[in-house]
Amino acid sequence: MPGIAEYLILGAILFALGLVGFLSRRNLIVIFLSTEVMFQGVVINAVAFARLHHHMDGQVFALFLLVIAAVEAGLALGLVVLLYRRKGTLDAEAWSLMRG
Amino acid sequence: MSVETLKLCGIVILLAPLAGAVIAGTLGPVILRGRTHWPAILGVGAAFVASVVLFTQVRGAPTDETAAVVSVYEWIANGTDSAFRVEFLIDALTSVMLMTVTGISLLVIIYSRDYMRDHGQPERGYERFFAFMALFVFSMCALVLGGNFLLLYLGWEAVGLCSYLLIGFHYGRPAAAAAAKKAFLVNRVGDFGFGLGIFLIYLTFGTLDYGAVFQMVREGITGSGDPLNTGLVTAIALLLLCGACGKSAQLPLHVWLPDAMEGPSPVSALIHAATMVTAGVYMIARCGAIFASSTVAMTVVAIIGAITALFAATIAITQTDMKRILAYSTISQLGYMILGVGVYAADAAIFHLFTHAFFKALLFLAAGSVMHAMGGIIDVRQFGGLRKILPWTFLTFLAGSLALTGFPLLSGFFSKDEIIHHALMVHPVLGVIGLITALLTAFYTFRMVFLAFFGPQRVPEGVHPHESGLWMLVPLFVLGLGAIGAGYVNIEATGRGFHHFLAPVFEHTFVANNPAHAAAHGAAGAEHLGFWAQYGLMIISGAIAIVGIVAAYVLYVKENWIPGLIRASAPRSYRTLWNKYYVDELYDASVIEPARQTGRVCVGLDDYLIDGLLWVITAIPRGLGYLVRTFQSGMLQGYALSMVAGIAIIVLLVFWA
Repeated sequence: MPGIAEYLILGAILFALGLVGFLSRRNLIVIFLSTEVMFQGVVINAVAFARLHHHMDGQVFALFLLVIAAVEAGLALGLVVLLYRRKGTLDAEAWSLMRG
Repeated sequence: MSVETLKLCGIVILLAPLAGAVIAGTLGPVILRGRTHWPAILGVGAAFVASVVLFTQVRGAPTDETAAVVSVYEWIANGTDSAFRVEFLIDALTSVMLMTVTGISLLVIIYSRDYMRDHGQPERGYERFFAFMALFVFSMCALVLGGNFLLLYLGWEAVGLCSYLLIGFHYGRPAAAAAAKKAFLVNRVGDFGFGLGIFLIYLTFGTLDYGAVFQMVREGITGSGDPLNTGLVTAIALLLLCGACGKSAQLPLHVWLPDAMEGPSPVSALIHAATMVTAGVYMIARCGAIFASSTVAMTVVAIIGAITALFAATIAITQTDMKRILAYSTISQLGYMILGVGVYAADAAIFHLFTHAFFKALLFLAAGSVMHAMGGIIDVRQFGGLRKILPWTFLTFLAGSLALTGFPLLSGFFSKDEIIHHALMVHPVLGVIGLITALLTAFYTFRMVFLAFFGPQRVPEGVHPHESGLWMLVPLFVLGLGAIGAGYVNIEATGRGFHHFLAPVFEHTFVANNPAHAAAHGAAGAEHLGFWAQYGLMIISGAIAIVGIVAAYVLYVKENWIPGLIRASAPRSYRTLWNKYYVDELYDASVIEPARQTGRVCVGLDDYLIDGLLWVITAIPRGLGYLVRTFQSGMLQGYALSMVAGIAIIVLLVFWA
């Protein structure tokens, strides 16, 4: 039975992977997937703390987070499709109109 | 006089031309096209019919009820009794003016139907022309019908606007555009004084109603019941006179009128005869109570009129452009009218306005007919001997010229003679100026007639002259009859002549305040004058007209080498007259050039001082922006990195503490 530390480490690893992916990739969809990975790291943390404190708040929080992640995924993918239609590419570099 | 009939007539007189203008302006370019003259003709025609009805109403009115104020609706309520109403003041003066304005305008518009065509095809802007003509008539009718100073001012400005639009009808020609601008600006100078005069009236009397204001002036009290200061009345009168000088082209604001002939000939006829320039004379006659209470103002009016009459007549002698000669003759005749009101003979002035409207409209339309035949050329040096080619135009032009010179028993003779008669009674000098001007008038008018219609036949190269069609000739004939016969409406033998009709309007103003009139009544009744006193002046002025005509005949037909000799022997005077006393040059040097220089200085200040200051002020945010915008790289990953770094710093700071 792993303790709280293992769960937290798993969450941190997921978050760090997501962050690295987010910072290093240029494809809009991959960037978006990376944010989802970071999200899951946070959800694992919430569930781990719920288990530690024997309190359901963390679980409820995790469910809410999943719902919001799903909604946000729909929205974000819609945006990505629109952006792709505009420029014909998924490269984030193509969208630098507001450069000062 | 039934108020309901008067109200209906007034509304028709105003709305019919307006409706004509709106229909011609909106439907003209889309549907009517070459038939756009119909709304204008029908609208103004309806106004003319209503004017005639109005006239019969006023004429049939009992002697104790000679004026009526008809209120249409309250325009601006100001919580007191002196609200501004849209109301008509209807009396003999109004009805005479309305008949003149609508009648002459109707003939001019009928004439324009053919004049504004080129080989049977409507000229460019045909619809616009008729819309503006009808609007012009509407403005003038509003000016004349209005029962208070506010409506007078409204019509006054609208007339100015219409004159601008019509003088600049051929706006593509720089000369026409400049003339329109000049007319508008010179009128603005006069209107500024006029506006101040109306403000002063409101300040003094607390109302703008004609009836109330004139009543208070006669009683010598202000709106608050204090005694009225004579200086104040003089100031009001002189300010109003400013406006009259602008509209009626009196010295020193006459400069716009000769240039106004850049508009098409019918426009000149309309401006010079029926609308616009008569407004000043009408206004002074209408405000007789104010003007006649101030001896100073009356003296100024008379002097300005007399000087203008003489001044313009001398210029007309040397000009060679037919329309320009006619324009100076208009200024001169308007001088007569202003002189007339200035010597307490407003009825004679209005009578002259009435007869002048016929023969001046006739002369301009006939000159337009000549221009039409000559392919747009109007300089008398370039053609001659036209009486064979244009017989009808020649005959009508001759009738108009004879009337203008005051040839015995034609219309101008009666009216001009009366003004000179009254001028002589007030001051001999004014009368003598009137007589000299009459001589000059006869001379320059017939100089033009002889140069254009007599002598060997000459036409400009490549022009095939032809007599105008019926649309143009019929108005000429009607006006010709008017020019010959209009003077007979004043035959006093019937006891119902023009003066008798107008008498109630002026009896408490000009007549009551006339020093000469009082003296004459003290000595003997006017009926008991001897033969010479009664007819002497008529004979003299008739003889003067004939002398002028004969002189022109000798100089320009018989011995036509003399004018060249005179020109050569007095080159200086000739050049001065040819250049119209250098008035335009004087204004150029004293007003226009300084204004232009000021404009240049202002542009310089704007370009360098103000723009420079703004550049300095805006440099601060611009510099800041320059510094900050390097962070805005436009790279998504860059932003994400700084976000992560920011969170990391915050987290570190939180745990540090």
